[in-house]
Amino acid sequence: MPVIRLLILLAALFGSPAYADRAVLSGALCAPALADQIAALGALAEAGATGGKDEAAWARTVVEAVDARALRCAASLAFIGEGDAALDAASLAPSPAPVDAAPMPINNRLRAAAASAAAALTLFVDTEPAARAKAATTLERRREALSLTILDAALAAETEPTVLAVLEPLRARMMLADPDPQNRIRAIDAIAAETTLRNRTLIAEALSEEADTTVQAAGQAAMARIDRQIAIGQVLATLYSGLSYASVLLLAALGLAIIFGLMGVINLAQGEFIMIGAYAAWFVQNAIRALLPGLIDWYLIIALPISFLVAALVGVVMEALVLRRLYNRPLMTLLATWAVSLLLINLVRVTIGTQNLEFHQPFYVVGGVPVVGDFIVTLNRLFAIAIAALAFVGVVLLLRVTTFGMNVRAVAQNRAMAGAAGIDARQTDRLAIALGSGLAGLAGVALAPLYNVNPNMGAGFIVDSFMVVVLGGVGSLAGAVAASFGIGQINVIMEPLYGAVAAKVVVLLLVIAFIQRRPEGLFAPKGRR
Amino acid sequence: MMGGGMLFRVIALSLAALTIALPILGGPLAGSGIGISPYLANIIGQIATFALLAIALDLIWGFAGVLSLGHGLFFALGGYLIAMHMLKDGYVNAGVVPDLMTFMGWTELPGYWAFFESFPYAAVLILVLPGLLAFAYGWISFRSRVSGVSFAIITQALTYVAMLLMFRNDTGFGGNNGMTGFVSLLGMPMGAPSTAVWLATASTAAALGAFLLCGRLVRSPFGRMLIAVRDDEARLRFLGYDPVWPKLAAWTLSGVMAAIAGALYAPQVGIINPRLLSPEVSIEIAVWVALGGRGTLSGAVIGAVVISALKFWLTGFAPDLWPFILSLLVLIVVVGLPNGLTDLRLPKLKGARHGG
Amino acid sequence: MAAEMRGAHAIQVEGLRVTFGDFVAIPNLTFTASYGEIHGVIGPNGAGKTTLLDVITGKTRPKEGTVLLDGKIDLRRLSEPQIALAGVGRKFQKPSVFEALSVRENLELALRLRAGSILSELRGWTDPRRAARVAEVLGETGLTDRADAPAGILAHGQKQWLEIGMLLMQRPKLLMLDEPVAGMTDSETSHTADLVRRLRAPDRAILVIEHDMAFVEEIATRVTVLHEGTPIFAGAMADARTDARVRDVYLGRH
Repeated sequence: MPVIRLLILLAALFGSPAYADRAVLSGALCAPALADQIAALGALAEAGATGGKDEAAWARTVVEAVDARALRCAASLAFIGEGDAALDAASLAPSPAPVDAAPMPINNRLRAAAASAAAALTLFVDTEPAARAKAATTLERRREALSLTILDAALAAETEPTVLAVLEPLRARMMLADPDPQNRIRAIDAIAAETTLRNRTLIAEALSEEADTTVQAAGQAAMARIDRQIAIGQVLATLYSGLSYASVLLLAALGLAIIFGLMGVINLAQGEFIMIGAYAAWFVQNAIRALLPGLIDWYLIIALPISFLVAALVGVVMEALVLRRLYNRPLMTLLATWAVSLLLINLVRVTIGTQNLEFHQPFYVVGGVPVVGDFIVTLNRLFAIAIAALAFVGVVLLLRVTTFGMNVRAVAQNRAMAGAAGIDARQTDRLAIALGSGLAGLAGVALAPLYNVNPNMGAGFIVDSFMVVVLGGVGSLAGAVAASFGIGQINVIMEPLYGAVAAKVVVLLLVIAFIQRRPEGLFAPKGRR
Repeated sequence: MMGGGMLFRVIALSLAALTIALPILGGPLAGSGIGISPYLANIIGQIATFALLAIALDLIWGFAGVLSLGHGLFFALGGYLIAMHMLKDGYVNAGVVPDLMTFMGWTELPGYWAFFESFPYAAVLILVLPGLLAFAYGWISFRSRVSGVSFAIITQALTYVAMLLMFRNDTGFGGNNGMTGFVSLLGMPMGAPSTAVWLATASTAAALGAFLLCGRLVRSPFGRMLIAVRDDEARLRFLGYDPVWPKLAAWTLSGVMAAIAGALYAPQVGIINPRLLSPEVSIEIAVWVALGGRGTLSGAVIGAVVISALKFWLTGFAPDLWPFILSLLVLIVVVGLPNGLTDLRLPKLKGARHGG
Repeated sequence: MAAEMRGAHAIQVEGLRVTFGDFVAIPNLTFTASYGEIHGVIGPNGAGKTTLLDVITGKTRPKEGTVLLDGKIDLRRLSEPQIALAGVGRKFQKPSVFEALSVRENLELALRLRAGSILSELRGWTDPRRAARVAEVLGETGLTDRADAPAGILAHGQKQWLEIGMLLMQRPKLLMLDEPVAGMTDSETSHTADLVRRLRAPDRAILVIEHDMAFVEEIATRVTVLHEGTPIFAGAMADARTDARVRDVYLGRH
């Protein structure tokens, strides 16, 4: 169409480049053939998608004019409106339309394309997420003016999950609907690059209508690849969730093992020390909210030392009032620490109540990083793992490097001899109780963003932590770690398959089986006692 | 000394007197000034089953030094077995459809309920199943020398896991709701005053029987061997005795006695559910024995009677107070009275009892 | 019969190797004790003395080696109670008696009239031989007037004697005493020496593990000096004192 070309050239000479582009884009609507008109709508949508918000707004005005039968054409120039009231479609400035300007002929196909283009442009213009979501669903049905360029631009700009949830699969379907089989194969590979269950469903959908065998083969291969990745992802997700459970268990069990190794005391209140730690974190949160609202996001970090100290204090009080008097009667300490746990639970129930506590979720425990398949490294679990890892390293250093650690090991091996060597065994006991209880307090903080926090929360952990101590042996850090991870993994692996109870049954049977061969625990040093 | 003496006789006579008096005071004389109401008879009956349970635990803990924090398991097992008998009997002979059939959607009771309508069958099971369970677990543990705190913790874990299992409906024993709606036992209608009196009488008789049996047992050479196990198991082994057998015998007997207590308890409260398997229930049994004084059967009975009577009385008007009282009581006894209430009675021989 | 036994090996240990994880407690030990003798086993801490006792009583299972009682009973194949029934008695380092039982009951329990099941033993509890033997041992140990006192209230030395008395009830072929005079007063030590000498019998070997050199010298007919699980001397105590290696590793340190 040489005439149009000439006009474009003229426009380019006289006006701004934008104006020239807009004149061309809008003028193209005046092409005589329907296919060209539809293409022009597509070009408008694409220009709006890539040209910024103003361009998108302009393009939508023009497209809407088509839909509203307001567009008139005079010699390849488009006008919106009639007679003197008309606007120049390119500049949207008042510009009387020539008398011969004829209304653009319109039919259903054209209207559909116009609706499609309008919806596409809405994605870039509208600030209301609901409107964009509506536009996105319109696009699912009306793809006439839609192109991959538009979708990629929209996906890049979009942040709203509800809109993304429509656009992402839409893009995949667009790619899969390409007439060229080679392109379809490329599309499949591109989609399969991100190995999620949703993408697998998309490919499966496309393949159900696919006749081309090469595409079929490529699709099957891609699905197999995704399946593998998803399987890996599931395994990793299970391991990860087991790891986070194990970390909390390790914190509780380390404390138990240290106290048991040193004094032969099994602290049945260890679960309640976890609860105390979580409640201390809740108090820290409330205090910060009231006094230093700016630091509210950091309350979990601030709570770490405080929860440790509060739980440690409760432990030391328990030692001073009760355990100190029971050192050679290990079975009585079971009853005594049980009584302490009963007392703590009921004190909290009476003073604070039985409801689950509400915790603010700071940014570092919200969301996660997708890794493979549907496996996401969630931050709340990572937080628990990090606390456990740091605390474990701290405990190892404390026991290996410091005088206190040496004293603990000396007293654990031979209380009388250590006393003779000038070690204050009582002091060592007190510090070890403080450390052991404090670790449970840390577990409470680690749990706060993960689990329900209420007076009874300790009961769920205590059986597993004992099993860790029984399985891990006395005073053996490596044993405690191995047993925590074993029990943590068994719990998360069994739970989805056979339910939580089955997991507990298996752990218990394992412990009974293990203890047959090694009454002193998994890693206990062999030798005479 | 060891369970003998005045106190033992006083308790044996009191139990015997109760056993004889209950049917009279609760029966013909029920309405009179000295009569016993069915409600009171029921309370006495329940407390008698607790005393029986405490005797069972004292035999194994007080004398053989093996602490079980899972005697609730045997107690509940006995309760469930008698409950199954009563439900099946009601279903077969009175046409009363048990609740659990309704909510499980069963049109008939599954295979493992077979023969339960027969009381002798249920009675045999009440003796045999807990016995087998105790024997199996005891054999596994004692043979590999699992003892002390590890043994206690694992008994608690076993009971805890059993509770989780029983809470599930799929396990097939009524889940959370347990079993209730009993019609009759041995032809005596549930809820009738006379039934309450007879069940209470049976309970005191059972407690008396266990008290006398265990009293004889602990004064026999076998009892001396149990005490030897408690005091120094290694020494006993080097004298050429395998401590597994006396321990296993006492442990199994203890489990069976606890199950009998449970079988007497369930009909008296009219319900059995997994809450009996919670760790608290099992620990509370140990608290009775610790409070009364381990290693004296009289102490076990006194501990069970005093604490459970206190609990009945308190939960009437201040249920929230009970956990506080119980925990403080335990702490006071454990810290201040290592041999329980017997410490209040007379100065004990130093070192005569050690270990936990 | 006693005459045949005299001089025969009561306990015969050959090529014994005991390890705890990476730690080699006894690398390769050959050791014998004969009937009729009181054999002292001495050596510094960690020489493997108690480990040797643990192996003989079945508490510790060795990696390699043979342990024969009476030249024919393979102790490695028996359980601890079976070893005790076969005729091995052991006194622990710490006095180890049943504190809640009376002295008499402790002794009664120690007598195995029917080496076999516990049940048959319990059934034969009132056998008059039991009472007679108990009275005899009460006399030997000097505990007759404490017969009905709970063992828990005895003095430290009396507990040790009671434990030795329990071993006497067992009539062991091999009697092993692990530091019998540790923590005793001088007069208690000399009473114990008397008691041990009286335990000597032609059909019995007595193994004494001790730190107290004077005590060993007083009672032992033969000594073996262990060092790091290896015997470096065997012979008379008097010769041990003059042996150069023994002085180096053990006596030199005192």
